[in-house]
Amino acid sequence: MSDIIFEVKDVHYSYLGKFPALCGIDMTIRSGEKIAVIGANGTGKSTLLQLLDGLIFPDHGQVIAFGERLLEHSQDNEKAAHRFRQRVGLVFQNADIQLFCPSVREDIAFGPLQFGIAEEEVKKRTQEVAQILDIQHLLDRVPHQLSIGEKRRVAIASVLAIDPDVYLFDEPTAGLDPLTVRHIIDFIVNANQQGKTIITATHDLHIIGEIADTVYVFGRNKSIVRGGSSESVLNDRALLESNNLLHIHQHCHENREHVHQHLPLEPHN
Amino acid sequence: MSSTLHKRRDFIERSILSALAFLKEATLSEEYANRKGFLQSLDPRFKTISFLAFLVTAVSLKSAALIGTLYGFCLILAFFSNIPIRNFLLRTLLFIPLFSLCIVLPTLFSIVTPGEPVWSFRVLGINGIITRPGMDGAILFVVRIATSVSLVVLLSLTTQHSELLKVLRLFGVPQVFVLTVSMCYRYLYLFATMVENIFTAVKSRVGVVSHQRHGQNVVAWNIANTWNRTTQMSEEIYMAMLSRGYTGEPRLLSKFYAMPKDWIWLLCAVIICAGLFYRGHT
Repeated sequence: MSDIIFEVKDVHYSYLGKFPALCGIDMTIRSGEKIAVIGANGTGKSTLLQLLDGLIFPDHGQVIAFGERLLEHSQDNEKAAHRFRQRVGLVFQNADIQLFCPSVREDIAFGPLQFGIAEEEVKKRTQEVAQILDIQHLLDRVPHQLSIGEKRRVAIASVLAIDPDVYLFDEPTAGLDPLTVRHIIDFIVNANQQGKTIITATHDLHIIGEIADTVYVFGRNKSIVRGGSSESVLNDRALLESNNLLHIHQHCHENREHVHQHLPLEPHN
Repeated sequence: MSSTLHKRRDFIERSILSALAFLKEATLSEEYANRKGFLQSLDPRFKTISFLAFLVTAVSLKSAALIGTLYGFCLILAFFSNIPIRNFLLRTLLFIPLFSLCIVLPTLFSIVTPGEPVWSFRVLGINGIITRPGMDGAILFVVRIATSVSLVVLLSLTTQHSELLKVLRLFGVPQVFVLTVSMCYRYLYLFATMVENIFTAVKSRVGVVSHQRHGQNVVAWNIANTWNRTTQMSEEIYMAMLSRGYTGEPRLLSKFYAMPKDWIWLLCAVIICAGLFYRGHT
């Protein structure tokens, strides 16, 4: 039981009190797990990650993190907030939101500095993180001048600098070129091999085989339709089709029309 | 005729797009600050303090010749900082002295500033007499404005804007204010691009020619839409800050390192200012 990191119990959440985003979510996440949350747009994946990161709080039900219930007022305590945030890091879907400092270097250093880590140590850590993600050449650049792929890598670096136990990734590969997707998958797999817990929200089925052992499928009713091993979920074509995650694809091969399903089972190599 | 009408109808769009282009250029114009040069190599804190001292000197001196010397020094600094002198002169000398000349014009005449006449003329039956004290005062004013503006432009051209904002901390400006202004600056470009994209999207659907009233509607929608998106984004950015440990009192990286060169420069700046003050009072 002690290795349980998150317990999500019958969580309901709605925006402005009238637009439901999550309805009755139950999950248990253990240390070192690789979990993917999949679902069509607007099924509540990002909302779940924000709940797990203690940025928003459920209308009903509870989120227990590291044995303690996540409450809004507990985050008002600086020590408690820092203790939690040093253990959980969220990489936002929109990198422009995550990169709010005037330079890449300052963005990477922002997190560790808030936790009171000495400036010299922060500078050292910034260099190390930049080296891991191969962004040393971007350190003095302004974030708005970077490409989407570069921004995503810097966003990951800004969380890696905190060195959390749990990484929450919100659509980490959306809109990226194949090589950058490959780098991000490698990063996620390596982090997990080093004992980090990974929770990824995505609808890119091609990467799930590599980045998750357990998959939760979110449906249009904003609740979990099914959870299970990635292989069993990805093999359930009917489930994926009914939740807008598979589609019939039609295209031409040398004047011959070809109709097939987009299959998620083959991982990127 | 149709071209004139078209231009008139496009007025709002062209004005907004030009303003956005200027905004984007301003946020991206760190080309000179990133070049290798004398002023670029100095610590921004020392540079700002020395330029403040030059500004105070320029404003306090009462001799146009001495202020002109300071202006000459400013041009030398621009040259050694890899700033193209022609562009620099165009930026600083073309409009500002012209405007200041317009302001100072009445003081040239004996009605405002009596004294020894230098030149007199008669226009539409009215006698105009330009006096020496009036002319001296006007020259002093224009030279002072040109020098002050040149110093400020040179400082902003050779320093990254984010560093200039950080220097505000020297003057006791709270960290949170510096961070907020830096963030505003960082997101200006993003929102400028967003507004530009909205205009392109509108153009792609309704074509280039749009009725003036329709144009006004588009601008109003644009303002409302941008407002909504900025509000939403600001909430998300705050979440991103919280997620990385922000609790209301930001701690930022202090990137500045003072070198012996910076101290020597500051000493030189103090000597130059003191020398000019001394000459001005003897």
